Amino acid sequence: MGKRYDAIVVGGGHNGLICAAYLAKAGRDVLVLEKRDLLGGAAATEELYPGFHFSTCSYVVSLFRPSILRELQLARHGMQLLPLETSFTPLAGDPGLCRWPDPQRSRREISRFSARDAEVYPEFSLAMTKMAQLARSIVDAPAPDPTSWNPRELARLLRLGNQLRRGGAEVMDLNLKLLTMSAVDFLERWFESDVLKAPMAVSGIIGTYLGVRSPGTAYVLLHHYMGEIDGAFRSWGYSKGGTGGVSLACARAAESHGAEIRTGAAVERVLVDNGRARGVVLAGGDELSARTVVSSCDPRLTFLGLVGARHFDESFVAAIERYKLRGSSGKVNLAVDRLPEFFGREGTAHLRGDIAIAPGIDYLERAYDEAKYGDFSKRPYINVVIPSLLDPSVAPPGKHIISMFVQYAPYHLAEGAEHWPEKREAFGDAVVDTLAEYCPGLEESILFRHVLTPWDLEKEYGLSEGNIFQGELSLDQLLFQRPAAGWSRYRTPVRNLWTCGSGTHPGGGIMGASGQLAAAALLESGEL
Amino acid sequence: MPEPSVFHSRTAQLCTSHRWKDWGGYYAVCSYDMSPEPEYQAFRHSAGLIDVSPLFKYEIAGPDAAAFLSRLTVKDATKLRVGRVTYLCWCDDDGKVIDDGTLSRLGEEHFRLTAAEPSLHWLASVSRGFRVTIEDSSARLGTLALQGPESRRILERVTDVDLAALKFFRVAAGTLAGVPVWISRTGYTGDLGYEIWVGRDGAERVYDAITEAGRGHGLLPAGLDALDVARIEAGFVMNGVDYFSAHHCLTESRKSSPFELGLGWTVQLDRGPFVGQAALAREKQRGPRRAFVGLDVSWAQLEEVFARYGLPPELSLHAWRDGRPVYDGEERWIGQATSGAWSPTLKKNLALALLPAGHAATGTPVRCEVTAEYRRHTVAARVVKPPFFDPERKRA
Amino acid sequence: MSDFDVIVIGGGTNGLTAAAYAAKRGRRTLLLERRDVLGGLAAGEEFHPEHRTDGVLHDTAGVRAWVARELNLERHGLVRRAEEPPVLLPATNGPGLELWRDPARTAAELAATSPTDGAAYGRHREFLARAAPVLSRFTDHAPPDLHAPGLGDLLQLGRSALGLRLLGKREMMELLRVVPLSLDDWLGEQFETPLLEAGLAAPALHHTYSGPRSPHGAASLLFAECTAGAPVAGGPRALVRALEAAARARGVEVRAGAAVERLLGESGRITGVRLRGGEEITAGAVAASCDPKHLFLDLVPAAMMPRNFERAATAYRARGTAAKVHLALAAYPDLPCRPGAQPAAIRIGEDLETLEHAFDAVKYRRFSERPILDVRVPTLESPDLAPEGHHVFSVLVHYVPYDLEGGWTDAQRENLLHRVLARLRLYLPGIQDAILGHELLTPVDLETRYGVTGGHLHHGEQALDQRLVRPFLGCARYATPFPGLYLCGSGAHPGGGLTCVPGALAAREICR
Repeated sequence: MGKRYDAIVVGGGHNGLICAAYLAKAGRDVLVLEKRDLLGGAAATEELYPGFHFSTCSYVVSLFRPSILRELQLARHGMQLLPLETSFTPLAGDPGLCRWPDPQRSRREISRFSARDAEVYPEFSLAMTKMAQLARSIVDAPAPDPTSWNPRELARLLRLGNQLRRGGAEVMDLNLKLLTMSAVDFLERWFESDVLKAPMAVSGIIGTYLGVRSPGTAYVLLHHYMGEIDGAFRSWGYSKGGTGGVSLACARAAESHGAEIRTGAAVERVLVDNGRARGVVLAGGDELSARTVVSSCDPRLTFLGLVGARHFDESFVAAIERYKLRGSSGKVNLAVDRLPEFFGREGTAHLRGDIAIAPGIDYLERAYDEAKYGDFSKRPYINVVIPSLLDPSVAPPGKHIISMFVQYAPYHLAEGAEHWPEKREAFGDAVVDTLAEYCPGLEESILFRHVLTPWDLEKEYGLSEGNIFQGELSLDQLLFQRPAAGWSRYRTPVRNLWTCGSGTHPGGGIMGASGQLAAAALLESGEL
Repeated sequence: MPEPSVFHSRTAQLCTSHRWKDWGGYYAVCSYDMSPEPEYQAFRHSAGLIDVSPLFKYEIAGPDAAAFLSRLTVKDATKLRVGRVTYLCWCDDDGKVIDDGTLSRLGEEHFRLTAAEPSLHWLASVSRGFRVTIEDSSARLGTLALQGPESRRILERVTDVDLAALKFFRVAAGTLAGVPVWISRTGYTGDLGYEIWVGRDGAERVYDAITEAGRGHGLLPAGLDALDVARIEAGFVMNGVDYFSAHHCLTESRKSSPFELGLGWTVQLDRGPFVGQAALAREKQRGPRRAFVGLDVSWAQLEEVFARYGLPPELSLHAWRDGRPVYDGEERWIGQATSGAWSPTLKKNLALALLPAGHAATGTPVRCEVTAEYRRHTVAARVVKPPFFDPERKRA
Repeated sequence: MSDFDVIVIGGGTNGLTAAAYAAKRGRRTLLLERRDVLGGLAAGEEFHPEHRTDGVLHDTAGVRAWVARELNLERHGLVRRAEEPPVLLPATNGPGLELWRDPARTAAELAATSPTDGAAYGRHREFLARAAPVLSRFTDHAPPDLHAPGLGDLLQLGRSALGLRLLGKREMMELLRVVPLSLDDWLGEQFETPLLEAGLAAPALHHTYSGPRSPHGAASLLFAECTAGAPVAGGPRALVRALEAAARARGVEVRAGAAVERLLGESGRITGVRLRGGEEITAGAVAASCDPKHLFLDLVPAAMMPRNFERAATAYRARGTAAKVHLALAAYPDLPCRPGAQPAAIRIGEDLETLEHAFDAVKYRRFSERPILDVRVPTLESPDLAPEGHHVFSVLVHYVPYDLEGGWTDAQRENLLHRVLARLRLYLPGIQDAILGHELLTPVDLETRYGVTGGHLHHGEQALDQRLVRPFLGCARYATPFPGLYLCGSGAHPGGGLTCVPGALAAREICR
């Protein structure tokens, strides 16, 4: 057995790399181990077809903490975010609805469907901005623990309570509604037009196994507005060079502080002795030793896979077994020889943001209903981004990449998840057929198609049940309960084993907060 | 991207400066020439013609129209006689101003309300229980403001409306160059002036006729820059500049009440229920916390400050709108000047300001911030009651 | 001088309760009921010659003992049954399951098919029992005032929080974890018997506009089960009788057939009511037990409504999802799964997926192909409701939308009835021949007859947000923005069902 590292980070996704970078920056001797030959995990750029560089899984950056960008000097290491400014909802045989950065232009677009909604739209933004100011303080700090008697925790709870109280009854009430209502019910307090409500509501279901009418989905609507007040950039951005660009910048930052990064190094298990983690065993049998092991993998893979249930007490194992992963989305990537054409829209301005195939609430609910009973949606919600339009470096001149996030594709098919491989192409066909309904001629423009099902996400990227957020972002799995009640502070029941992935608070998306906060907690603990 | 107004074919031709801005989603001329000064002078000495079509307009009709407007606004619209116009504002439940505009009674059951911001939803939501229809006529009606001492004589040549009988804040229907129009004796310059309301189809003919009639009267097409200076001299508040609609404020302190904005005279409290009534009644009893005032900035001190750097005071032909702090005699911050301008007519530096009630009495000395040679200074200013400029001819 | 101290609008159980409390506190009280009979949704009706129901809402297990005690309802004839009769969950391939609140008896039922579920049910009931005091601290007291949390409110909040914390860290974590779960997730964690899961889930889904897979279903189950006690002997009819007697005994003046057309207002204050026909009656306080949407959008003069408050009233969700079917039967039909049995309650819904499918329909403004039925047979306990040997089936049908696609035509009504009978025939094959007469009340009929907006039997959905701040901000503590006007019905805290709690808690606020 060779050198003993201060910390081994399992998984070279963005959270793992950010955690490693912060630890290395604090002078610790850090090793990052990534199973694949490529860094980034679900945030990677891959040349799947000659000349086309795909952000295979995650394709947009949302709510990436600007403080990370500043502290790790990621711009110097090559990270560059391009804002996605428009939101386009095409309709069949109609120019659809495009929301622009220019408020007057958005107003005119919305008033084609409802003059009333057009006027209420800025009021809604205002109300949400107020809420987002509150929510942001939760995302930027470890989750408050309401069950603790620790005076520091009580004081923190009191502060949060006070902050709420200062906002007045309306803010408290609206907060309660955001946390408990369905996205549709919440939006219907403001809007009447389906064409506006549907693309707004979908932000509440991304990555969940819920529908837009399911209670508790309103909360994620806030995320959009949290980006707005961050100041650094808009909530939705595209990373130059694809999403892998974020991971590579984080990796370079980590290396600049002396961290060591190994790819093609699959961790088979975490070594635990007497309730203490002391290193890892690689797939080939090599043992690596460390004072601390930090896993950026999802809770199920970390605790039940890499460590093993026998190292935990029964109730913790039960909690992890209960932890809901249930992936519900897939990805279809296309290489095309021309831009898609939508009815009644000329130029490319409407294609430079995100395009949502979400023509109505009932459409989205039907898509969900199919998934509930174990099938992929024949007419799914699709979020389309054409990164090559913003960043010509990812495709040959004149050619384009169409990146499609698709929901629902439930991991648990009625016939069993293992049947995904034989349904993969049928799923891809359904997605292409759906998009083609809005842009005729799409099929003829396709040079290459790459379909990623939740099964693939699990097998290839190590995301249990293909859940892109390493666990559903539902109220029972958020804050102090992520991933399990009492274990939201990145520490685990096994000493010297820590977690830093999306399966910890605040979780989800390419936010980086989990990695950042985990590193801070670990350094503060004095155990490293 | 902004849209063209109904007069765009004419204004675009005349706007040799290419100085445009977005006003309510429409292209609007800042100044036709690189300098707005001739246009300002036209308002005060001959006449200026300005396209104010981007104003939002709503036609309110039906047996309960007057009752509905009395509930919506701070004024009792049932008292407004046919053919009259009134200036008013409307508030939210807490008595904070949402918007201001003019209300014309065009018929027993027909009113027209102007607004700076889209208001259809708000109007509709207040109308529950009233027998009214509310139509957004913003796009189908063009509006021209013909303002200045010569405006009556120009208009007389092209319209059959009896302008001699059309007193201040009256409105009448007639034709102009054969096109049916409404003409109201209103405006935003604080001078003699008219506003002409015309349907989309006849808009260009009306524009051409007025332009033709204006030859020999010194009529100039005028833009928003000149208007801004004129309206500051006239002491008119502007939504989005001097105050913010209660619908768009993130904090309470950003909102303002009619009493604070100097619009207390428009508030008629003792009548049936209207939106914001209880809060306004409370505020009236308590007395408003802030007041909207004019500031006359000391020229002598301004000269003195600039003289320290060997410079003459900088004069701009454009009004400023970027709020500036106001201090008391001890240099403590007390409030803000929200817009201001050099008045070419009065040869004074003027500002409109929102100050605490205790500093709002006419004559109160305060200090305004000015920047000279990259450094901040304060100069003395005196609180005055707007308007700064109020010519006899406006009402005559 | 007003004509009365208090006018109560609506003679349902909450209106009667509020009136009785107000009179008990010495207030001169007038109760106005639009219909000719008292009881509202708990009123018995003759729907077929000589066949009567005992109320649209037929579950009296939620009636609180403390209300009965404070109003001395026992002296006015109220009797609580010693134990709750079981609910039969019928099956076509076996004996089905008799569901008792008593874990031992349910375990005995499960002994043959799933002893593990028998044990799990015991743990389930234990968890409910431990959660009950925490939850009833919330449901049985006026909610804290969000607007101006005063000392008393803080104390109460503190007590709730403390109660929660004193549960012990693990229990508290568990409660906090469970509350937002869907019934599918929560019951799925505990049980393996589909029939048991469906039988437990169905009542928690009533009046919520959600299905077993919708989050927060566990909260509904907790709230319903933690506050349930023994039912009233004689059902809703007996409850209404006792409440009316208690109210009259304390001097409440009761006027049936007196419909309130609108409220009288003066400078922001509510001063009385105007009846249809023009009569005006003044009072120091008006307590409305009608639903909040009807109250604020129809009865309060439009000009008095503050904008934000009106917006909240408009946004309040009251989408009815249930219909009611009443059947007059010549005899109790045979139950092949339990030969010879005549259960007083039958719940039809085979498994959670069936429930979920049933819910799906209502989202698209259709009714369920295979509706979920909650059947009560009041004639077993009250034979006087029908001629000797005859029976009445009182059936609550889920899910049935208010805003049916294409509207409620005769053909659609026929179609719905057909589906309900098909579901019943599956378990009671002889029922068709026994039917003497029937009545179908769609959500639209319920709205028309009982004045409940949207046909919502709980005066508004019991979703978590509308449960925690009920009905909505500005009137969540019985008082409204209008001095002199109070809420006292199911639309007020803690919500719908036959509990008498909103009426009782509202009366306390009124008589402060």
